[in-house]
Amino acid sequence: MKILKLLLLLVVLGIAVAATAIYSGIVNVAADEPHSDLVYWLLEETRETSIKKAAQDIEVPDLADPELLLSGGVDYNFMCASCHLKPGQKESDMSVGLYPAPPNLTIAAQSHEGHEHGDDAQSARKNFWVIKHGIKASGMPAWGKTHDDKRIWAMVAFLRRLPELTADQYQILTALDPNDNQEMDH
Amino acid sequence: MKTNLIKTISKIALVLIPALTLSMTAAAHDPKLHAKKPEKADCSKMDHSKMDMKDPVAMAMMKKCMKQAEASSDKMDGEMDHSKMMDDKMDHDKMDHDKMDDKDMKTDEHNNH
Repeated sequence: MKILKLLLLLVVLGIAVAATAIYSGIVNVAADEPHSDLVYWLLEETRETSIKKAAQDIEVPDLADPELLLSGGVDYNFMCASCHLKPGQKESDMSVGLYPAPPNLTIAAQSHEGHEHGDDAQSARKNFWVIKHGIKASGMPAWGKTHDDKRIWAMVAFLRRLPELTADQYQILTALDPNDNQEMDH
Repeated sequence: MKTNLIKTISKIALVLIPALTLSMTAAAHDPKLHAKKPEKADCSKMDHSKMDMKDPVAMAMMKKCMKQAEASSDKMDGEMDHSKMMDDKMDHDKMDHDKMDDKDMKTDEHNNH
């Protein structure tokens, strides 16, 4: 009986603490004020584990077709580069202003601090899942709502090669000739 | 009646002032930073000597530049349909030769008109 009372008390206390945190306004939601280390770690671990689990059964297609780089490159330039940068670029309004900061995808995955990326296939699965579904409260949109899987895989193919590209190669691969009839539905 | 009017104006001001302030901050930095215009691939920067033609990146670049070159040559052909340029249909009497650039005339080999 005593244990039950103690548990009940803890539950009530927990609800009271949560309600105070929610309604007192003491939680700072400003993007220019970073989380404490503990909160950051909790959110990061939760996110990484969730993505890993959700993406584990995705089948990775052949991503070597050069055509994928062309389609994925144009999409990356229009949809992603403002946050995830281009070769030779160090920062942008979005990369500086967003919190958590969007990863710089022009550098190799192994150079990103904080979490493991796994092998090529695992990295491709995770990238596909994140592009398709987005990440809540992070600024990463769910592109799957407006883009089919084929186009998302093309972006994944482009991302695999992006860290090796020079600024000139990037310009050629991502350029969209105004005279070209290629679809631009962004 | 007056108090109602004042209340309505205050409410409108309460909404309008923050909205205007926010929109002004949004336009405060250079919009060119976010403008994305379609641009042609700068194929002159391709260094063929350093390219591995079996690499998908090199293959994609070649494909892009060839397609672009084809598109621009098609466009040129479309704009200047030489097959329709029949000499006997050109009415040279109506051409104002005074307005023609002298330099062009000198380089023009068709000067027996």
